[in-house]
Amino acid sequence: MKDRVFDVFARKERGEPLSHIGYVDAVDAELAKVYAWRTYDEQNWFEMCIVPRTEILPVNRDDGPFASGGGGPGQAE
Amino acid sequence: MDRFTDEELKTRVHDGYVVESVEEMSEGYRKALVVQLTVQADTELISAPAYWRAARHAPSTNTQVSAHAIIQDELAHANIAYRLLEDLGVSKESLVYERAPNEFKHPYGFDQPLDDWAELVVANGFFDRAGITLLGDVHRNTSYGPLKRALVKVDMEETFHLRHGEVWMRRLANAGGEARQMLQRAVDWMFPMTLEWFGLPDELKRHSGQLDFKLKGLTNDELRQVWMDSTVPLCESLGLEVPAHWSDESESYELDYPFPCHYDADRKHWDFDAGEISWDQVFQRWKGRGPMNEWYVESIRASRSRVSAWLDAPPAIPADA
Repeated sequence: MKDRVFDVFARKERGEPLSHIGYVDAVDAELAKVYAWRTYDEQNWFEMCIVPRTEILPVNRDDGPFASGGGGPGQAE
Repeated sequence: MDRFTDEELKTRVHDGYVVESVEEMSEGYRKALVVQLTVQADTELISAPAYWRAARHAPSTNTQVSAHAIIQDELAHANIAYRLLEDLGVSKESLVYERAPNEFKHPYGFDQPLDDWAELVVANGFFDRAGITLLGDVHRNTSYGPLKRALVKVDMEETFHLRHGEVWMRRLANAGGEARQMLQRAVDWMFPMTLEWFGLPDELKRHSGQLDFKLKGLTNDELRQVWMDSTVPLCESLGLEVPAHWSDESESYELDYPFPCHYDADRKHWDFDAGEISWDQVFQRWKGRGPMNEWYVESIRASRSRVSAWLDAPPAIPADA
């Protein structure tokens, strides 16, 4: 099975915006949740969620990792 | 065709332009960034087995927990840096699992065995201080947006490693006797080891592009001074001897030994008496890697092929099917 990229979003407290804080590679969403929670443990997050990178649709840019559909490791070229 | 030439991009980043994706890079920028991130990722990765092997010497369950929390952080930092490389088109899989151990780019200091608790806490105090010095400078200055954001977490956690190292150095120093001697022995080989880590002096520095592309802000010699700015007063306050002192005349720290010089890895001994050697000799030693190089790399990936083989094996078909 191939790893996919999952982008990680989180916010520290109620009322704060959700921010992109990083990314993990995982074979499925359940493992990606575990990796995200363990990798980005520098804060006691109020909320954390993950999104498969291929599900992020760029609206106004035609470059960058989201536009290139970089859903898997090493596909950004 | 790249959007910018190397020269155009150098000017732009110094005017405050933040690079956000690989499409905006010139070839020279991308290459310099890949080298920088590979060194960063490999250093974080190899620090994990080095600290893991030494964590056996933790004197209590509490200290076991903090030693292993540091190892967990280092692995997460490595993973983050390799993930950044993926977005530049470099495969994490091949970097971690397909290179020969001597092709890793971590500093020579992390190819040494850490053999007792004092060596582990001095590694936290000295090596992690070097990490903060280098990465803190990158964090403040880098023109690559994704790296700047990723370093927020890394800087925060490295500060904790450093505190762990310094608190324990103080405890061992205050205990006196055997504990203090063990601490001084660790300092004796690890202080020059960390200074060497910062690399070629500015007067010999070949052109790397990292400063031109604003991937960092300070030169090697400046970074060495920043490290000593914290480390020398710390050691002096603990009554530990280090081969460097502040000079009012040059308004900088000066070394009390020939730099660079010969290192005997088996005895963990710097041969100050044999005098200065050339940086080519240092690069030769680095290239040959240190005593733990293979052990550290293999300990990270030993189980990989075996478990993968189980997972990728075709499902067993029952005999009566």
